[in-house]
Amino acid sequence: MLARAGLGGRLGGSGVRGMRDSFEARAVAGLPEGARLARHDAAVFALRGQRDAAVAAVRDWEALRERAAAIKAHALDHLDLLLERFEEKARGAGAFLHWAQDGEAMNAIVAELLAARGAKRVVKSKSMLTEEAGLNRYLHARGAEVVDTDLGERIVQLGEERPSHIIVPAIHRSRGEVGALFQRTLGTPPGMDNPEQLARAARRDLRARFLAADAGITGANFAIAETGSIVVVTNEGNADLGMSLPELHIACFGIEKVIPALADLGVFLRLLARSATGQPLSAYTSMVTGPRAGGELHLVLVDNGRSELLADPVQRGALACIRCGACLNTCPVFRRAGGHAYGPGAPGPIGAVLAPALGGRNARNGRGPRGGRNARSGSGRAQNFAASLPLASSLCGSCSAVCPVRIDLHGQLLAWRSARRSGGAVERVMLRAAAGLMLRPRLLAFAGRVLRRLWRPLGWRIPGNPAAPWLQSRELPPHPGASFRESWQRETR
Amino acid sequence: MSGRESILARLRRGARRTAAHPGEHPAPQLAAGFAPFAEALRAAGGAHHGPLPQNKLAAKVREIAARRAPQGRVLAEPSAAALLGPGPWETPAPDAAGHGFEDAAITIALGQVGCAENAAVLVTGRDAPHRALLFLCRHLLLLLPLRAIAGDFHSALAALPLNALAHHHCTWICGPSKTADIEQTLVQGAHGPLSLDVIAIAPGGESGAQ
Repeated sequence: MLARAGLGGRLGGSGVRGMRDSFEARAVAGLPEGARLARHDAAVFALRGQRDAAVAAVRDWEALRERAAAIKAHALDHLDLLLERFEEKARGAGAFLHWAQDGEAMNAIVAELLAARGAKRVVKSKSMLTEEAGLNRYLHARGAEVVDTDLGERIVQLGEERPSHIIVPAIHRSRGEVGALFQRTLGTPPGMDNPEQLARAARRDLRARFLAADAGITGANFAIAETGSIVVVTNEGNADLGMSLPELHIACFGIEKVIPALADLGVFLRLLARSATGQPLSAYTSMVTGPRAGGELHLVLVDNGRSELLADPVQRGALACIRCGACLNTCPVFRRAGGHAYGPGAPGPIGAVLAPALGGRNARNGRGPRGGRNARSGSGRAQNFAASLPLASSLCGSCSAVCPVRIDLHGQLLAWRSARRSGGAVERVMLRAAAGLMLRPRLLAFAGRVLRRLWRPLGWRIPGNPAAPWLQSRELPPHPGASFRESWQRETR
Repeated sequence: MSGRESILARLRRGARRTAAHPGEHPAPQLAAGFAPFAEALRAAGGAHHGPLPQNKLAAKVREIAARRAPQGRVLAEPSAAALLGPGPWETPAPDAAGHGFEDAAITIALGQVGCAENAAVLVTGRDAPHRALLFLCRHLLLLLPLRAIAGDFHSALAALPLNALAHHHCTWICGPSKTADIEQTLVQGAHGPLSLDVIAIAPGGESGAQ
């Protein structure tokens, strides 16, 4: 039996035995049973529905998107200047600034800050960057206890797996599975699967950890150059507890998060929660400027491949992403494959765009931090995996249509496919053969007749059949029995 | 070269300096006032009260406290306490640590700006110097001057009081703490307050607000 990877299982990182690690291999290994697939599909698409309802109520939605895209384009064109301004303002407000070239450097900075203060108990709120860099594992290896405090993140942490969605990390888990997990790890009563009771159990457990924490680690949704503030958005209030109880607050975020001015924040906040969950605004939007009285605020600005991506005229647009998850919720491939098929980085279309650029630097496939390499090289295995992600798309364009900052996601996926060389000799030979056929009409007609005879055997699910993975979840359609040219001649005779 | 210099050098190489800032987004002229605010607050899971004159605030707070947490510890941040006058609430000492409020049943704080578009209420560090109190309590009660409710979020951000960012935090609060992480079932009170009540203060009754 194949290891389950996608909806509801863990995968060691190698996908299906005998297949090269790729999105395709992980998706095939993780193909869910019917009911689980239907639940996941419905849950994810419900978020899309909530988004649509919220968007319909905003008259200036398209103007907002246009404005957001223009502000991000300006910010990316002036990123160095904005970061310097942010640094000056944040320092002026009493924060300490740190610059990390990559995930490894970020992890080292955080570990050093904790060690210097003897901080062992750490509460952390959701941050895709720290996932990207494998911060938890890094700190655990150095004796710190890092507790993820977002409920969904806590569920996947207790289950020793990865988040499967940017904003709903445990969307692949049913209430029954969460109940069984909490029974095993938190000691809740057997059979308890009521979401409210389960959330209360997690609240009790995590409240004690907040109160005992030596340090709080958060990400940042935005950093405002004009004021030196960071902006942290949550619905649960977990980041706020992590920022306001321990004396030490460390915020790690990518350098692309900086926006020019406070007035720009209104544009992004009106787009963010509506695109994510359909809310007009998340429950808590905290603008933090400098440390609290008696506390320390450390801001870690992380590059990890972003400055190199900025130099790419086509792909730099992906840096405008505000991590709302809307592209995941609308993507027919994500809804069926689940987030784990995308590997350790961000899932969905935005993950498929970012991974080939940022992927492979560190912490890939659960093997611990690597770092210190060229952004586009990383480990060969991780790079190969990342290069497979742009194929995880039907190129329907729905992701681009819902993106609140108008990233041309399907265009970027196509560009990555064009740049991909992993097809190698086989692909080149096949393309040459196809070109040869297309240039010779009689030969093409003959080849078509041969193919029609071979049509049924092509659908056989036999080992070695190159179409086998594709056929795991699809049937070959019936062949019409004649080519278009033959049908046309018959009709016009 | 330091990490900072290396990163900035790479960014300078990639900086095109072509895209101009598009300017501020024109405010969409949404209806301000308490009615649309109250409707948005209900949708966000909160409850609204008032508008009430300042001399009726304390009675309303007592009524809400008796309903939400009859025997619980009630804490009022200094600016809210100044508006309410004496009552069964305590005001934390200026240097009190957040850990001492773990048993807080209700926290009362003054909001400086409201937004009808999304029911957000801005609580600044000046009005909530003990920030943890906003999240440790089981129930949060915010006082909001009626005249401080803007229609849209752009106008609300533009109405930020002077020096609002000088007090460590400005927190927009929009309904109680919530999660839908388990089978997308909405649960109020994930980590922070289980409920949020907002009392609007009638014009002329908000001398403690800026």
